[in-house]
Amino acid sequence: MKRRGFLKLLLAVFGTTAIAFLTYPLARFLAPPAEKAKGKQISIKRSEILAGEAKSIALNNTPVIIINRQDKGFIALSKVCTHLGCIVEYDKGKKRLLCPCHAGTFDLEGNVISGPPPRPLPKMPLKVEGENIVIG
Amino acid sequence: MLDRIKNWFEIRIGLKDLIRAQLTEYRVPKDINIFYTLGFVAMAAFMMQAATGFFLLVYYVPHSEQAFKSVQAIMTTVPYGWLFRMLHAVGSNLMVAVVFLHLASVFFMGSYKKPREMTWLAGCLMLLLVLTFCLSGYLLPWSQLSYWATTIVTTIPTAFPYFGDYAAYIMRGGEHVSGVTLNRFFAIHVALLPFLFISILGFHLFLVRRIGISSPPFGEKNEREWTEYRHEAHSDGIPFYPHFVFREMFMVMIFFAIMFFIISFMPTLFLPEDANTPADPFRTPARIKPEWYFLAPYQMLRLIPNKLLGVVMQIIIVALFILWPFFDTKKERNILKRRLLLGVFFISIAMWVILAVWGRYS
Repeated sequence: MKRRGFLKLLLAVFGTTAIAFLTYPLARFLAPPAEKAKGKQISIKRSEILAGEAKSIALNNTPVIIINRQDKGFIALSKVCTHLGCIVEYDKGKKRLLCPCHAGTFDLEGNVISGPPPRPLPKMPLKVEGENIVIG
Repeated sequence: MLDRIKNWFEIRIGLKDLIRAQLTEYRVPKDINIFYTLGFVAMAAFMMQAATGFFLLVYYVPHSEQAFKSVQAIMTTVPYGWLFRMLHAVGSNLMVAVVFLHLASVFFMGSYKKPREMTWLAGCLMLLLVLTFCLSGYLLPWSQLSYWATTIVTTIPTAFPYFGDYAAYIMRGGEHVSGVTLNRFFAIHVALLPFLFISILGFHLFLVRRIGISSPPFGEKNEREWTEYRHEAHSDGIPFYPHFVFREMFMVMIFFAIMFFIISFMPTLFLPEDANTPADPFRTPARIKPEWYFLAPYQMLRLIPNKLLGVVMQIIIVALFILWPFFDTKKERNILKRRLLLGVFFISIAMWVILAVWGRYS
């Protein structure tokens, strides 16, 4: 190999190595630090939510709705639509959860009834302990 | 005094020769039409956005707890702050409209064809950058409208398996749109995008000058085959300055007339109520709609039941549009002689309008 060719090869190797070494720190720099484990629980009184009514809370920064279904009792669902992340609202009359962005509709189990959402709304852990409901 | 200044420059850079070569003796086609001025209008719009954006930066605070208040202060307490904010907000919408019109007219004139494929590509990249400008700037007022529009856009990558969630996470700087997202979008809007846009604009203008302005394809034309590089000079054309420059300035004045009409008589056209309500991460406004230029893709996402399919289809449509010069390699530039292409052109525009209107009123 001639000297000029060798220098070109050296430049390519060092250049590539330098870029590769810079890429990793850049990717780490742009990725936010991992959030701490979330284990928060929220307790509310059963009497706060009458049959057929719902209450919205924030659980670990996630909007959650607790619905007191007339026939099946309490359920806690994430309010974040599985389509594009908008917040669903409870329609008491229709007994549905509606997304205002792309018209996704969910039943009170969180299942998709219509519209583009690909998955049901995630269920949140919920326990009824005496007069209290514990979510999370 | 003026002569002495001119002479100072003449000695150093050959000013007279520069003006002669680049302005008075530089010719454009004699049958050039008003649509050829749209590129210049778009550039003027960009310059106005840069100037008003700089003025807004003087008072804007890029922090989730103060961004909304600082924008409200610009609108209500800073002297003429409302004017610069309105110029920036309305100007961004009009700039998108001008760039759309410019691309549509270039397509209609067949000016994307050989040897101008790279000019078209650069133009399309600038359109994408303009839309990215709009998206990143949209979040900065930290209003309900901006917050939820950004939530939707940053959730789109999650349609893709494997890397989608991570891409959304990086874009937002976390699981949700937050102050971290605001900082990221601010940095992109004021530091990265202007640099990219000016670089590509420079390349675009270089290509226009290097290859020469294409002439309208209508009427009797005898165009030579492009087998090697040549500059398309128009020796029988009209001088770029003053003839064509005055037409361009006339169109720029129309652009500003439309802008001031909107600011004066329709100030809420691009700033609805949700744009004046602070961001609430726990409540999406009812019947939220994107800006007019995203209504068609928005409606497509609503209509296509599979999210991945909806996003992939849109990417394919955009890619087809950008790479069109490499699919349409026929020599004939006159679209009126190509009925199929003419049909595709008008049907595409009609589909876009129908989807946008449907999305707006559904």
